[in-house]
Amino acid sequence: MDPDRELVTAAAAGSREAFDELVRRHRAAIVTLVGVLTGGRDGADDLAQEVFVRAWRSLSGFRGESTFRTWLHRVAVNLVRTSQVREGRLRRIFARPSAGEEVFDPPAPGEPIDASLARRQLIQRALASLPEELRVPVTLRDVQGLEYKEIASLLRVPIGTVESRIFRARQRLKPLLEPLWKTNRNS
Amino acid sequence: MEDEQELVAAALRSMPQPDADAGFVARVNARIDAAPGWLGLADFRVWTLRLAPALCALALAAIFWQAPASSSSASVPDPVSSPSFSPASSSDWQTDVSGDALLEAALKPEGSVRDR
Repeated sequence: MDPDRELVTAAAAGSREAFDELVRRHRAAIVTLVGVLTGGRDGADDLAQEVFVRAWRSLSGFRGESTFRTWLHRVAVNLVRTSQVREGRLRRIFARPSAGEEVFDPPAPGEPIDASLARRQLIQRALASLPEELRVPVTLRDVQGLEYKEIASLLRVPIGTVESRIFRARQRLKPLLEPLWKTNRNS
Repeated sequence: MEDEQELVAAALRSMPQPDADAGFVARVNARIDAAPGWLGLADFRVWTLRLAPALCALALAAIFWQAPASSSSASVPDPVSSPSFSPASSSDWQTDVSGDALLEAALKPEGSVRDR
């Protein structure tokens, strides 16, 4: 049962109040997702707003085959991909050096990472160092809490592929995130 | 190995949520209400759709304009069968007619040639 069902029905019928409530419910998740998928670059907030604008315009096409939350995540993933392709083209045109996969040096163990912002940035940068095919599923699973089945349907790949990608992503993230649990143990 | 996987998953789950942003909903609404602006002109889907009625009107006008034009073209005399160009004109076959007279006969209406 989709907890957003009533609001979605009302919003699809044109209720802006219902849609505002949907935005309030899912803002944090979408801002986080877009932030992670874009590597925390400038413009992530703009993209997150655009996700909701697209959602509003496409609500009539939402057939309820998945939950609204999963559908919204799909809109976000597709929008980020499109924007990255466009950005990549511009970068090639203007010959800016390609960022590609970011190289990330984690802070030294024992270095305090208590502050919420620093913790957030560390996780975001660690995820940004992964290739997209690993970053997206592990973010959807571990940061956003989606089920494997939902991720498979959202990314249109077999569930086994999702599982193996998440496994590999976690392996690659382990050394980068180690400072987090080392700090927790010390404190 | 499983512990390591769970450790990483727990670290990712602990990612702090972004701070509450009261203006976010208002900004989304402003975007929804905003006119597409001049950049919207670049969207061919918008203007081709808006031009559809004008295109229909033009197509209808072309059809109605063509119908009377084709009926009036039927009344235009066939230059080959026209009497003024008829090879049956007697002066055309007379051997003693000069070139100038022949040209004059061809250019003038048949009646006037015959009068001569």
